Amino acid sequence: MAKVTVSKLAKLFPPPIKGGDVVRAITNIDFEVDGNVFVSIVGPSGCGKSTLLNILSGVDTPTSGSVTVTEAGKPAKLGYVFQDARLLPWRSVMDNMMYVRDDASEESVANAAKYLSMVGLDHTHEMFPGQLSGGMQQRVGIARAFSVEPDLLLMDEPFSHLDAMTARSLRDHLQDLWSRTRKTVLFVTHDVMEAVQLSDRIIVLAPGGVIYDDISIDLPHPRKASDPKVATLQAEILGQFENMQIPAVE
Amino acid sequence: MAGVLVDSAEASALGTAAGLRRRRYLALVTGWVGFVAIWWLLSVWMDSDARLPSPGRVWDEVWIIFNGDPTNSRNDGGIFWNNFLASVIRVLLGFVVGVAMGTPLGFLMGRNRYWRAFLKSPVMIAGSIPGLTYAVMVLVVFGISFVGPVLAIGLISMPYIAINVAEGVGGVDKGLLNMSRSFGRSEKQMFRDVVVPSVLPFIFAGVRLSFSLAWKVGQLTEVFGASQGIGFQIRRNFQLFNMPAVIAWIGLFIIFMLVLERFVLVRIERKLFRWRQWEREG
Ligand SMILES: Nc1ncnc2c1ncn2[C@@H]1O[C@H](COP(=O)(O)OP(=O)(O)OP(=O)(O)O)[C@@H](O)[C@H]1O
Ligand SMILES: [Mg+2]
Repeated sequence: MAKVTVSKLAKLFPPPIKGGDVVRAITNIDFEVDGNVFVSIVGPSGCGKSTLLNILSGVDTPTSGSVTVTEAGKPAKLGYVFQDARLLPWRSVMDNMMYVRDDASEESVANAAKYLSMVGLDHTHEMFPGQLSGGMQQRVGIARAFSVEPDLLLMDEPFSHLDAMTARSLRDHLQDLWSRTRKTVLFVTHDVMEAVQLSDRIIVLAPGGVIYDDISIDLPHPRKASDPKVATLQAEILGQFENMQIPAVE
Repeated sequence: MAGVLVDSAEASALGTAAGLRRRRYLALVTGWVGFVAIWWLLSVWMDSDARLPSPGRVWDEVWIIFNGDPTNSRNDGGIFWNNFLASVIRVLLGFVVGVAMGTPLGFLMGRNRYWRAFLKSPVMIAGSIPGLTYAVMVLVVFGISFVGPVLAIGLISMPYIAINVAEGVGGVDKGLLNMSRSFGRSEKQMFRDVVVPSVLPFIFAGVRLSFSLAWKVGQLTEVFGASQGIGFQIRRNFQLFNMPAVIAWIGLFIIFMLVLERFVLVRIERKLFRWRQWEREG
């Protein structure tokens, strides 16, 4: 049940070429996420989505403004799923799971195994990442993030490198995991259909890193892509997006 | 029907692979037999043990090196292992010195561009100095000693290791470092579990690259400044005009270098970097 507060957040990057303009990745955004909700952040490429997650996870620092991520007043525990799996290639799947955990007790191992099992990877404990397919590696990444039992789960386009069929099956895995554990999730994607299927709320960013829209979606979880209610809502929101005409980044 | 076709195609593919291997062995054996035959013919024609001893004479010496010389009490059966071990230990210690010097330099060069600018030319120059220079240098400084050859080997392998490590450090996957950070891993954990495993293959590559060079320098320093070792034996027998023994020691040296390189180093590498065999593009 994490609480995320973003206020007057801005992030500038130094000009990519000498004498050029600074890059405005994020310009003064404010929002709040409270409770076990699944929030998607959508927007065109380069509008600062990854930058926002990096700041939230502490990998990057804001230029101005502030972010706080708390769990009952204390700093929250984070899990992160990246666009690529980011597994240590020299460690087996199980050892990768253990890398992000602080104790190596038997319970801890059993717990890691439980999450691998939830994404259907029971048989892979001893295998190395190079022996797995891209989709399997991504599943390890998802299991790893869930297994630390984070208060806030950050996901940055976790399915965009995968083919449509694998992505769909992983979306089901994700919904299943989420329905069982109900964490606060910030899920970055540029796929509106995916955002509608998964989330309770969609924050739309526009180029320059400003909030363009904030949509809530009120449908029970888990949602099937084939469910007509989901399909209708997808069509409706996609229609809204077409009317928004978010300008592309230059 | 299709299955049968595939099977027979596979079988013939396997057949050619085995055939290829057999032909390769045949070529290898023919090559060596031919080499020894030409050597033998030449030695018969030259008819001089001092210039080109026959393969048989050299073989007698090899036998003596391993089993001792009944006519010479100083030359017992331990001569081979004593000298061989002396050389191997020097080379191993030399590599320890080279890795100990080259790794920190490489880290500095890979992490920090000021250090890189500062160290690049000295390291490059150190890498292009001929081995003979080091051999003479340590002889002048240390005389006949144990430290001299070890240091020479360390100095010759150091630049290779430094440059490789620098490259490895520069190439550490930033994505993995960010992943570690976002899961709250400490700097120490990141160093041990991300940086070291990424750089280790590069250290190894540096050792492999400088391996034959280090052996040569080791032998060279032994020729001038040691009282034991394969290089020392070569010089001693040369001074005694015992040409068959000189060739026997050289031959043993070459064989052991090949064995060490092909079997020991490659084995260790394969074991250490087992995960790499599954690495693939993209
Ligand atoms: N480390 C950096 N140094 C300089 N500029 C950066 C850096 N990281 C991001 N940027 C710039 O900030 C802007 C936002 O980048 P960001 O990666 O957050 O976009 P994004 O919304 O995640 O895009 P995508 O959907 O393509 O992943 C881009 O213009 C990018 O060039
Ligand atoms: Mg991004």
